[in-house]
Amino acid sequence: MQNIIIGQYVPGQSFIHKLDPRAKLITAFLFVIIVFLANNWITYALLGAFTLLAIFVSRLPLRYIYNGLKPILLVIILTFLLHVFLTKEGPLLFDWGFLEIYEGGVKQGVFISLRLLFLIMITSLLTLTTTPIDITVGIETLLGPMKKVGLPVHEFALMMSIALRFIPTLLEETEKIMKAQSARGAQFSSGPIKERLKSIVPLLVPLFVSAFKRAEDLAMAMEARGYRGGEGRTSIRLLKWSGKDTTLFVILLLLCISLLLLRS
Amino acid sequence: MDITIKGLEHSYSKGTPFERKALSNINLSIPSGTFQTIIGHTGSGKSTLIQHLNGLLKPTQGSIQIGDFKIQAGVKEKRLKALRKHVGIVFQYPEHQLFEETIEKDILFGPLNFGVPEEEAKKRAARLIQQVGLDESYLSRSPFDLSGGQMRRVAIAGVLAMKPSILILDEPTAGLDPRGRREIMDLFYRLHEEEGLTTILVTHSMEDAARFSDDILIMEKGGIALQGGPETIFSNPEALKKLSLDVPETVQFIHRLEERFTKNLPHSVFTLEAAVDAALSILQKGEENS
Ligand SMILES: Nc1ncnc2c1ncn2[C@@H]1O[C@H](COP(=O)(O)OP(=O)(O)OP(=O)(O)O)[C@@H](O)[C@H]1O
Ligand SMILES: [Mg+2]
Repeated sequence: MQNIIIGQYVPGQSFIHKLDPRAKLITAFLFVIIVFLANNWITYALLGAFTLLAIFVSRLPLRYIYNGLKPILLVIILTFLLHVFLTKEGPLLFDWGFLEIYEGGVKQGVFISLRLLFLIMITSLLTLTTTPIDITVGIETLLGPMKKVGLPVHEFALMMSIALRFIPTLLEETEKIMKAQSARGAQFSSGPIKERLKSIVPLLVPLFVSAFKRAEDLAMAMEARGYRGGEGRTSIRLLKWSGKDTTLFVILLLLCISLLLLRS
Repeated sequence: MDITIKGLEHSYSKGTPFERKALSNINLSIPSGTFQTIIGHTGSGKSTLIQHLNGLLKPTQGSIQIGDFKIQAGVKEKRLKALRKHVGIVFQYPEHQLFEETIEKDILFGPLNFGVPEEEAKKRAARLIQQVGLDESYLSRSPFDLSGGQMRRVAIAGVLAMKPSILILDEPTAGLDPRGRREIMDLFYRLHEEEGLTTILVTHSMEDAARFSDDILIMEKGGIALQGGPETIFSNPEALKKLSLDVPETVQFIHRLEERFTKNLPHSVFTLEAAVDAALSILQKGEENS
């Protein structure tokens, strides 16, 4: 429970921490798109290099990131296996009668898993190095022009930031309730699977009850403090575009061009 | 079951940027049948300490021996469930653990998990719901229709229904009205006496600490600052003040009386009634003399 890094912010002073949230948001967004440009070893290597560089520059402890990825690793391995066993392309590598593994399958498996891994890393880096408030302000400014077409940009951004803000709280709450029920003999992390599944109800019911209560309290508190939506509301955070952000964009552009040139 | 804690240390989120040492070098032994109180400022590590006593938290250093169960840093204890049957914890704000459709089912959750036959568990529920100050008609109601204080009582009944031999109470009366507070504390004390429980009470109330404890432990910044019987602890207000803690009002009152009349009074006066008696004895003597 203590290892989950989704939505966590780790304070720091690195290059990436200091980037303008808008630059980071755009980068993450573009990255999600250009990941799909890669289709051979060299383009994947490029994306890998970019991801590793980003992690390195962020100066987040590697062990922390690794521990945070562990729960997701299972999904990635599963994806890999599915592709290995189900894609039937290229020369046959192994044949155990009922199981046939083709070269195309292995390649596909590696590529798709890498793609997943890169996506998760880059988006996690975004939240790990940006405070929820900065993310909100970033999104709100970026989507600002859409207000003219009547999109509820402010509300959307607020929703996002509240969600981000409460992920750690919910995890904490989950841990607390798990402890309370474990003390009453529920089994979450050991014992037969049937027992563990049965423990889900005693966990989820109190969790939902408190989440709804929290939501209600928050809404009440916001109203009591005069919150009236985005109209005329200014932000205490002023975003400033700096040389760092331009540097990031140049790197991203170079990455884009190389991908386009090198993909087969 | 005796409890022995040796060199206990605990860090939260070990190995992450959020690592935080919450306990260090705790050595403590609690003989079976003791009423042990733990006092300390918010964040001093009280809740962290007690969660080690049934394996909810694992020590990062040191060991905890409870009866013949041993929890040790780096060693996986396989009999945690058996241990938890013996060690009941009433958490801070236990009402958050309620989840069943009816109050009865919720109280039965613990006992049934630990293999108590349903008949017997139901009997316990019927008895306990009265002991915590509600009546049997509540058993078939939903726990979510209750007031906060009533929910607290149901949650407490749910822990007591497991019949633990070590009962741990983490600020069980926080947020209750004064009368409810007294009722609940009296219930715990009665159970402690009648069933020979080992009780560990975490509290901010010096009055409760003075009234019930055999031994008081004062924690500060993850360590033990003071330990001793209530008489020893409260006869030294200076040490308490240094830790920015108060002595109970009754004790303050007795000290003031002593100063005023330059007389020595017994220092084991912790209940309101005893304080009144002590004051009367001084005043009456005064009248006889004049
Ligand atoms: N789940 C957790 N994750 C990380 N740190 C924690 C966690 N729980 C407690 N801490 C930290 O450990 C320290 C001790 O906390 P603990 O809850 O044991 O204090 P406490 O004495 O019970 O306080 P209170 O009187 O407020 O209940 C605190 O500094 C707290 O911030
Ligand atoms: Mg606490």
